[in-house]
Amino acid sequence: MADPAASSPHLQLLSDLTPPSLERTWLTAPHPRLPIVATCSSDKTVRVYSLTNFRLLSTISGGHKRSVRTAAWKPHVQGESVLATGSFDATAGIWRRWDGYGQATDGWGLGQREQVTNNNDSAESEAEEKDSLRHDENNEAEDDDDEWRFAVLLDGHDSEVKSVAWSPSGMLLATCSRDKSIWIWEDLDDGDNNFETVAVMQEHEGDVKCVSWHPVEECLASASYDDTIRIWREDLDDWGQVACLRGHAGTVWFVDWEAVENVPVGLVEEKEKEAWREVAQRALSGPRLVSCSDDRTVRVWRRQPKEQAPVAGTVMPSIIRPTGMDETWGEEAVLPAVHDLAVYAVAWSKRTGLLASVGADGRIVLYEERLVDAGSAQPMDTDPPLSAPAVARTEWVIIAALTGAHGIYEINHAAWAKRADRGRNESKEEEVLVTTADDGSVKVWTVQR
Amino acid sequence: MDSAMQNSNPTILNIADLPTRLRPASSRKSGTYRGGILALTLSSLADPTDLALSPYGSEESDDDTGLMEEPIDEQEIYDLVSTISDPEHPISLGALAVVSLPDISIRPTLPEVPSSLLRTVTVLITPTITHCSLATVIGLGVRVRLEQSLPPRFRVDVRIKEGTHSTADEVNKQLADKERVAAALENGTLMGVIAKMLETCQ
Repeated sequence: MADPAASSPHLQLLSDLTPPSLERTWLTAPHPRLPIVATCSSDKTVRVYSLTNFRLLSTISGGHKRSVRTAAWKPHVQGESVLATGSFDATAGIWRRWDGYGQATDGWGLGQREQVTNNNDSAESEAEEKDSLRHDENNEAEDDDDEWRFAVLLDGHDSEVKSVAWSPSGMLLATCSRDKSIWIWEDLDDGDNNFETVAVMQEHEGDVKCVSWHPVEECLASASYDDTIRIWREDLDDWGQVACLRGHAGTVWFVDWEAVENVPVGLVEEKEKEAWREVAQRALSGPRLVSCSDDRTVRVWRRQPKEQAPVAGTVMPSIIRPTGMDETWGEEAVLPAVHDLAVYAVAWSKRTGLLASVGADGRIVLYEERLVDAGSAQPMDTDPPLSAPAVARTEWVIIAALTGAHGIYEINHAAWAKRADRGRNESKEEEVLVTTADDGSVKVWTVQR
Repeated sequence: MDSAMQNSNPTILNIADLPTRLRPASSRKSGTYRGGILALTLSSLADPTDLALSPYGSEESDDDTGLMEEPIDEQEIYDLVSTISDPEHPISLGALAVVSLPDISIRPTLPEVPSSLLRTVTVLITPTITHCSLATVIGLGVRVRLEQSLPPRFRVDVRIKEGTHSTADEVNKQLADKERVAAALENGTLMGVIAKMLETCQ
C-alpha cells in the first residue's frame, strides 16, 4: 500500500465476487439504491452479489431458456427490487423481490429496513420474517434463491435480446435485439405486472447492441451492428429517430451518458470549473454520450445547441420532420487509442466524470477530461476562430491502463458503483469499478490517486 | 437448407499431399473419428515426438525446447481445422483447399506487451465458389473448432480470404462478432450442422 509507485493513479483490486459463475458472464448491473449487483451469465442465470462482503446472495434461475445477456434495475422503487433481464431466448423478464435480505451477513440491511416505511407492510414483514428464519437455519445467505418472484415475460422480439434499460423515471423499459428493433414498454405499475408496448423502432440496419437512457429526459440512445448510434425521442404520440451518429468504423458495442451536472473531478478551483462549464456550453448542449466499438476506439459525442443550427436560407429545411425535433450531434473527441481489440463497454462515472473502457484485449483503461490551457496548447492563438465552438479546449488523458485485468480473459462490461465494503472511507462517497469477464469472474476495483 | 448444391463439382486435392503432423489414429485417444477418407491423412508424415497438439498434455514434450513453451504453431492449427468436413460434401476443408497452411498465422495479440500470453490465430478461408452462402457456416465451424480445442489465451480470428468471396465483409463481420457467435452456439439447428462438420475431426 505504501508503495512509492502508487503515487500515480492506478486501479487496485478490492475483491473478486465469489463464488464466480462457471460460464461466461456478460454484464454486471449495480443496484441504484442497495449495495448489490446483478451479474448475467451464459448459464441462464443472474447472480446477485453483495458489494459489502462480495459474496453471492442469490441466483435467479428458471426464467430464461438461453444465456442471460443483460439486466437493469428499475429506479425509484422503494421497499422492493425490480430487475429486468434480457436473454438470447428472445424474451425479457421482470423479477421482483422484497428488500431486506442479506441482513445476517451485511451491515446495510438494518439501515435499509428503517428506511422502508411504505404501505406494503404486511408482505414486507412476512418476507423479512421468512428471511430471518432462513438465516437461523443456515448462516449462508446463498440459499435465498426462491425469494425472487418471476413477474412477467415480455415477448415480442424475434431474436436475441441484447440490452434492456429503464427510463430515468422507471416508467419505460427499452429493449433491443438482433432483430434490429428497439421496443419501448410502459410499466403500467397496476399491481398486475402489466406492460404495454409503446413503440417499436426499426430504423437500425443491424443488430441493436445497446440501449441507454438520457440521465433525466425521456430520450434514448442506441448502438448497433450497423456502426451507428441513434437518438430517439417522443414527438407528440410517436417515438422517432431524432439523430443518427456516424463515425465508428465497426459495430458500436456500448453507449453511456454523461451525468447532467458533470464537472471533471480534476478541476478544483471555482474559476476552472466556470471555464469548463463555459467551454462545454453545458446548459445548451446537455449531457454528452460516450461510445465504444469494434473499431477499437472510444468516442465522445455532443449535441449541437439548437441556437447554432444552420439558419434558414443556408440549408433547405427538411419537409419530413418540420417540427424541429431533429438534433445535430457531432463527434467531440476520439479518446487516446489503447485497446488492441474490440472495446466492449464504456462507463461514464456519474460521480467523478472518469471514463472506463474494457474489451477483448483484457484491458481496463481510465480516462480523465482536462481543461487545455488555451495559451500553451493552441499555437494559432493569435488568430482565434471566433465563430468556431470552443469545444476543443478540453482533452482526454489516460490516467491508468491495466493489461490482463482478468488474466487472459476478455472483459465484457464495466460499471461504476458506490463503494460499500468495510474498508471504505465513511466521510466521503467512494466509488468502485466493477468489471465482468468471459471466465465468469467479476472484479471490484478502486481507483487510487 | 437442403436445396440444390452450390458447388456440385469442387476441386479436390490429393489428401496424401496435404501437410500434417497428425500421427496414426490408433495411438490417439478414441474420439469421434470415423475413418473413411481421412484415414489417408493420418498415415503420412507422422512424427510422434512432435505431438504437442493438446495444451493440457504438453508437459511431456517440454524437455526438448526448454525456454519457450509455445507448443502450438500454424501446423497444429491446420491439423485442427483441415479435417473439418464441408457442410455440402463429405470432403475435408483441407482437401477442398478451403483452409491451407500458408493462410494460417499466429502472432502476439498485444505486441507491445512482451509478457502477455495472448496470441491471435488468424485463419483465412477460401470458399470453393465466390458466392457460396455456406461460407458463414464453414467459418463458424472453423471458429468453433478452434475455440473448443485451443486454450483460452488464444483469440480466434476467422476471415474470408480477400478477393475470394462476393460478400466477404458481411461474413467477416458476423464471424468476428462474439455475441452472434455465442448466440449461434445456443442455436440447436445450426449446432447440428456444425457438429456434423466436426464429426470427422479427431
